Amino acid sequence: MNSNDACVTADRLAKHFGNAVALDAITFAVPRGRVVGLLGRNGSGKTTLLRALQGAVIPTSGSCSLFGTRSVDLGDADLARVGVVHQENRFLPWMSGRAHLDYVRSFFERWDLRREAQLVAALDLDLAERIGAMSPGAVQKLAIVTATCHRPDVLLLDEPAAALDPMAREALLQSLLDVLREDEPAIVISSHALRDVERTVDWILCLDRGRVVQDESFDTLQERYAEWRVTTQNGALPAHFAETWVLAQAAEGRQAVLTVESPEDHRALFEQRYHARVESRPISLERMFPLWMARRKP
Amino acid sequence: MLITLDRHSGQPVFRQIVEQVRFQVASGMLEPGSAIPSTRDLAGRLGVNPMTVSKAYAALEQEGVLDRRPGLALVVRARTDAARTNEQREELARLLRPAALAAEQLGLSADDALAVFRKALAERGGSNELE
Repeated sequence: MNSNDACVTADRLAKHFGNAVALDAITFAVPRGRVVGLLGRNGSGKTTLLRALQGAVIPTSGSCSLFGTRSVDLGDADLARVGVVHQENRFLPWMSGRAHLDYVRSFFERWDLRREAQLVAALDLDLAERIGAMSPGAVQKLAIVTATCHRPDVLLLDEPAAALDPMAREALLQSLLDVLREDEPAIVISSHALRDVERTVDWILCLDRGRVVQDESFDTLQERYAEWRVTTQNGALPAHFAETWVLAQAAEGRQAVLTVESPEDHRALFEQRYHARVESRPISLERMFPLWMARRKP
Repeated sequence: MLITLDRHSGQPVFRQIVEQVRFQVASGMLEPGSAIPSTRDLAGRLGVNPMTVSKAYAALEQEGVLDRRPGLALVVRARTDAARTNEQREELARLLRPAALAAEQLGLSADDALAVFRKALAERGGSNELE
């Protein structure tokens, strides 16, 4: 990928907090128009990474950049092209939602009032309410509106749907796709809600203990793994399949259920070797995620 | 062009689009020369990333299902009747492969399995040509 195409990049980015390694030499790049699902267990480094990209965390070594400018050197003009939703948003509690948006709008040249109205309606947000009196979900909705109406070129969203009910979640995902069609920003969205992620993202960046364990297009991942239901006609199957591409297994007599990698590379030979028939099904992101956790050597 | 997606099937969205367009072309629901919705239009309707639709269209173009004309909408490529019949057979074969596997697992003979398929066709009122 040409570096001019990449809005968001990290190059051997590392961050240590004392002896704790939050980010361990991370390298990746995100072009415009891509929606990256940033996955990982609690403490895997997702929030630190998002904060480093905004320039809010200074790398111990390596670097990260937005629009080709190192995050720590981002100026006001660069930051005006970034939209951020934090996990916990601290807005002025005495302001109403309306007053808050008017205040934020005053900092941006290209605040889009049409989008603001659309988002507020789609998310069903009451702007008359005082922020201090808002539910966590309403504050999160306000944070989403705050982060997107200046039409950013990069959107960094840290668990943006965590406090939202199912309808608001759906509205958020739909709104993100509208934003994507209008402005073609790069979007990085961290989430534990893998079924939501699955619907929206086209790329997966998965961290584990500060390292990148997956950086791949979601289409590719969906075709890289499969669940096989194996039936053999003559004789029993082995109690354990030793093939390295068999990632998980459960066997019983003439049948087995296997989670496999690169299914189409192995299928014909496997069927021949075990005199077996294979029924192959795709697996969900929820099923893939633990595979990436388990593969790491401690 | 009507496309419906199953977002939790585990099958890549671009592949679902490819298969449904291919089927609609083979079945004549989409006629040769008819225009296909733009990438942005379809992405908007389906609620997916425009890049996903681009990827599907590029695959369909490469397979020869769609034709891209500079500056104009994508259209369904013209095909001979023989090619069309061939496509129809391929589509059905694709759908029948899992059924063939199930027949084998159930221990049905080929004759039994064909009889079941004939009956299913008869129930649809379409058995005559195969008798």
